[in-house]
Amino acid sequence: MSSLWKRGQTPWTETSHEPCCIEDALGEGGQGVVYRVNVGGRLAAVKWYYPEFATPGQRVALETLVKRGTPTGKFLWPLELVSAPSHPGFGYLMPLREERYKGMADLMKRRLEPTFRALATLGFELAHSFLQLHSKGLCYRDISFGNVFFDPGTGEVLICDNDNVSIDGVGEGGVLGTPRFMAPEVVRGDSPPSIQTDLYSLAVLLFYIFIMHHPLEGKKELAIHSFDLPAMNRLYGTEPAFIYDPDNASNRPVQGVHDNAFYFWPIYPQFLRDLFTRAFTDGIRDPLHGRVREGEWRAAMINLRDAIHYCQHCGTENFADSSSQTAGICWHCNRRLRLPIRLRINRQIVMLNHDTQLFPHHLASDRPYDFSRPLAAVARHPDHTKVWGLKNLSDAPWFITTPRDPQPKAVPPGLSLTLLPGAEINFGKVLGQIL
Amino acid sequence: MVRRPGGELASRPLHFIWICDCSGSMQSDGKIQSLNNAIREAIPHMLRAAEENPHAQVFVRALKFSDGAQWHIAQPTPVADFKWTDLQAGGVTDMGRAMQMAAEQLKIPPMSERALPPVLVLISDGQPTDDFRGSLAELLDIPWGKRAVRIAIAIGDDADHEPLQAFIGNPEIPVLQANNSETLVNYIKWASTAVLKAASSPASQSKTMKSAGGNVQIPAPPPVVSTPTEDVW
Repeated sequence: MSSLWKRGQTPWTETSHEPCCIEDALGEGGQGVVYRVNVGGRLAAVKWYYPEFATPGQRVALETLVKRGTPTGKFLWPLELVSAPSHPGFGYLMPLREERYKGMADLMKRRLEPTFRALATLGFELAHSFLQLHSKGLCYRDISFGNVFFDPGTGEVLICDNDNVSIDGVGEGGVLGTPRFMAPEVVRGDSPPSIQTDLYSLAVLLFYIFIMHHPLEGKKELAIHSFDLPAMNRLYGTEPAFIYDPDNASNRPVQGVHDNAFYFWPIYPQFLRDLFTRAFTDGIRDPLHGRVREGEWRAAMINLRDAIHYCQHCGTENFADSSSQTAGICWHCNRRLRLPIRLRINRQIVMLNHDTQLFPHHLASDRPYDFSRPLAAVARHPDHTKVWGLKNLSDAPWFITTPRDPQPKAVPPGLSLTLLPGAEINFGKVLGQIL
Repeated sequence: MVRRPGGELASRPLHFIWICDCSGSMQSDGKIQSLNNAIREAIPHMLRAAEENPHAQVFVRALKFSDGAQWHIAQPTPVADFKWTDLQAGGVTDMGRAMQMAAEQLKIPPMSERALPPVLVLISDGQPTDDFRGSLAELLDIPWGKRAVRIAIAIGDDADHEPLQAFIGNPEIPVLQANNSETLVNYIKWASTAVLKAASSPASQSKTMKSAGGNVQIPAPPPVVSTPTEDVW
């Protein structure tokens, strides 16, 4: 590290010709070192490549990325190339990661304990962000723990190390991916990284986030003594078997070793388990057509957020499963759950908890996903504390009919309707029904 | 309040062993002090690397050899609790005895059957004075000895590379030659971070990465630091 840049030295941005004053080294990766820099009073980050990675190919790749610009604000995207007459090689300037964003290792080592709602939001943001990237014809190549950060309070995501991003199917980029996350066909050397292999890596990352375990680590992992590259190539490449493959029980998780799989798998709704099952059965057998798309993950994460309700005994988050006849048992206190009042909008069911909010996508299918501006929120009646309502936070009135009164009544912005099963709400573009 | 069930991500133990030359020649030119300093420098980086790695529980210990060999830090210590005690130099270079002692600890038991490949880092400034070859064979004969990631660092020009290369057991991984304290710090840090990571949680794989043919892909070591004259041993 010491041989690259020292505090106070200044490489320059190549286009805007601004000095980037080195403050300190933030981290060292496989390809280079990331520094915090001060550019005209603003803090930013510079990744400087080790000589062997400062290749003409990398330079061209970065120039392309800079020119195309970031797909969304969730990527710490290369802003400009950076170089200096005093130092051979180059680097690039990017935004600095804010302190509130934490690494996946903190989640995996339980140094962070986010809510399931935050994790579902994280899953949504991951799927949404990679969909934007892929929609531009770009392939990330290295989705893994090291490149994803999130705010444990909200689940907001930040995707780093975007210098390996390349146009799908074009060029001979160097990075193949990170072991445990690489698609089996990449591990075997049959296929270069692509949008299709990104989808596999995304599914692994989501499995880690929700199950706190690797989808292929079961009996076969237990049988490995020395967990080294040949072993990993077998487990993740030549003999991949999903631990919950309904048609192949050879690689089930083992009690006492893979405990998280036993704890987490049963608590989610069937639709999420089905999606994971497809990702690691069809998704392994048929890389081109069998993989779960980002849009499917995104919809699943939205549904998962909406399925959260709180145990009336202990307050812990649980998931309602619309495929089940009963509310089930709380995973934490083991007592019988009771579902809260619910809202059905089209085929989607939203649990109306004390803190539920509805967002633009709930009230019109053509609206973008935007969790920053709720359009409705569950609220308690100011005088009758046992009465709960849904408050209109939008700027247009809603109209309701109830079993007692079939005459439509307006709910102007700022007012609430009482949550009565059977009530129907016309939100303008969609109809809702209180269950 | 409990928010989620279960525990940490399942991980495996990773044993990291420093094997340090404490022979009399390490006294000259401040070599032993430089080694002590380099390891102390590396510990915070090692801790950070371990904290960022959810796949391994890292345990560190140290073996020293001069007249015979001894465990300097015998207990496999979680890296968060690892404190370095300075080594003292004096005596001959019984490197072979150190191989035997490492081999005893890599047998099953005390090693567990399931683990990540252990990392052994051998540091020497001279040549063995005992039966090194026979003892090395004992180490390489046991499964965890054979599968261990073995790195060797030569301090100064008098170090004999041949036994160190035999210890590595792979001609594609060279002995690291440290001729000044800054290079030694960089190598020690590299061994305790990059190699540690490679043995448990390999970084992004690339086509340009050299395959060393071993069971663990060893990342490129840091470049040699040019030597200011007053700092040459």
